[in-house]
Amino acid sequence: MEAFLAGMALLLDPKILLVVFAGTLIGIIVGALPGISGSTTTALLLPFTISMGPVPAIAFLGAIYCAANFGGSITAILVNSPGDPSASATAFDGYPMARRGEAGRALGISAVASAFGGIFSVIVLIIAAPLLARVAYSFGPPEYFALAVFGLSMVAMTGGDSMLKNLIAGGFGVWLATVGQDLTTGVERYTFGLHSFTNGIEFIPVLIGLFALTELLEQAAQLRNRVEVAKLGAVRLPSWQDIRDCSKAIWLSSGLGTFIGILPALGATTAAMIAYVETRRWSKNKAQFGKGAIEGVAGPEAANNAAVGGAMVPTLALGIPGSTTTAIILAGLIVQGVRPGPHLFTEQPLLLYAVFSSMLLANLLYLVLGLGFAKVFARISLIPAPLLWPAVLVLSVIGAYAPNQSMAEVWVAIAFGFIGFFMRRYGFSPAPLVIGLVLGRMVEETLKQSLLIFDLSWGGFLGRPIAMTLFALTALFLLVPWALQRLRARP
Amino acid sequence: MNSHRVAAAATAAIAIVLFALTFGFEQMPEGITRGFGAEVFPRLVLGMIVVLSVFLFITSPMGAALERIPPMVYYSAAALLLFMALAPLAGMLPAMLVFLLGLGWLWGERRAWLLALSALLLTALIWAVFVRGFGVQLPQGYFF
Repeated sequence: MEAFLAGMALLLDPKILLVVFAGTLIGIIVGALPGISGSTTTALLLPFTISMGPVPAIAFLGAIYCAANFGGSITAILVNSPGDPSASATAFDGYPMARRGEAGRALGISAVASAFGGIFSVIVLIIAAPLLARVAYSFGPPEYFALAVFGLSMVAMTGGDSMLKNLIAGGFGVWLATVGQDLTTGVERYTFGLHSFTNGIEFIPVLIGLFALTELLEQAAQLRNRVEVAKLGAVRLPSWQDIRDCSKAIWLSSGLGTFIGILPALGATTAAMIAYVETRRWSKNKAQFGKGAIEGVAGPEAANNAAVGGAMVPTLALGIPGSTTTAIILAGLIVQGVRPGPHLFTEQPLLLYAVFSSMLLANLLYLVLGLGFAKVFARISLIPAPLLWPAVLVLSVIGAYAPNQSMAEVWVAIAFGFIGFFMRRYGFSPAPLVIGLVLGRMVEETLKQSLLIFDLSWGGFLGRPIAMTLFALTALFLLVPWALQRLRARP
Repeated sequence: MNSHRVAAAATAAIAIVLFALTFGFEQMPEGITRGFGAEVFPRLVLGMIVVLSVFLFITSPMGAALERIPPMVYYSAAALLLFMALAPLAGMLPAMLVFLLGLGWLWGERRAWLLALSALLLTALIWAVFVRGFGVQLPQGYFF
């Protein structure tokens, strides 16, 4: 409690307040820009956090993460083009509402549901993360190895058009983490004599390439697409009747979103889609869904914001990313010299509680900003692509160059931009690759340590019940969806 | 061959090449590696990728061939590479200015004043924030 109050007190620091405000504002703005997702933004802005120090850096990235999901709903409702993938389900009913002149009502319930879902999940995060960390505190290398493998197995359900492709992309991410000097033997692996690779592939250029530059090429392929913008009436708070109508959907979706967010690698987009289906299932107005049901906006919005806090639970407590964006935040913490995991709760509780309180503040801030300035944010989506995307590219180049002032890293970013473009073209999502890259070193180190403990015998894992349970869960999560898919495919 | 199989064949081929490269890693004595040399983990991962790729190849349903990549993607990629070539010669900031004007024009923006204004403003902003603010030393080029 003392640490929590100290963390809250950090919010009185004008620097922290400023970064949370800036992060929230940037999050809403970029969330409202079609094509630029929360993960693209965090990847793009990661280099600028290096000089901030760990607390402001994670507060800034956390605020962007919270606000981008909400920002995505603005364009989903007004333009039928979700600014962030997690707002895709919001467009199903938000855009029909906007077309019949209820854009303000849709944006209002979206802001309220988002803030409720976000705050709900941060409260769960504050309670659950220390508990999970306490459980994980007794973990040794075998358990961590099993946990990392479990986290990797969850990439099977992230993005991409098949489980196999996701696993292959995740595998390449793990392989990418092996580039550079092997820590035990000092042997250089895949450096091809290039000094820049000796310490491994830097996260920042890879992330910028895979998200920002890939998106530029994707946008080049879709230049002809034009959007129709719905008229925006006055943005107003939803009525008590609206809130009453949506309360069940908001509670249900907040719980669902938090739970889905906690599962490694599953993020806000999955949470919003499942919440939409469940909201519809439990609604009395099923027939209205798809035609402009207000619950159809409230449910996915509460869920995608709840998934944010949920995804931070395994990220902070175990060092296993709960989503693509948290994988990037995790990379940001590693760059700052902070390795998330259970020890953080005893060694740096202030850092954690500063994160929690800044996330709470970000949720309140975007409620105020969203209701007050939605009209302004909606205009942002109208910035012409020929001005926006070249600017994004220039910022990407600076972002890749600035940390080490090296053109080699800009070339790495560009190479990964092309790799990401072809990955997407052939149905591979870059998200599993990023999660693999972030977890790769942990997987190798803990496997090595485990095998040394077990005298190089894989059978040693059999004597570790927690590790075996995690392996069983991994097998279950991989085999059950695959078996169901095969069963459904049968005539 | 459909796109899934092309993808499976490509990932398997890449993994096999990377696997083969592990045979070129420096060999260390057993006392240092303690039975887990630098090549073991990459081989394990790449072996799994090959297995998964073979599985993907076998189980992939027949699908339609992919649409052609629109020419604008090639033009944009070429503009990006040109920018990279120009940055060390002309300096990063002038190269950025040219790139912002060029790509904006290529993507269909014909309001020259708007293009010029946005390119100048962004370049000035980058100079102010990064060069003056953070002290980042951008490539100067041969002409400055």
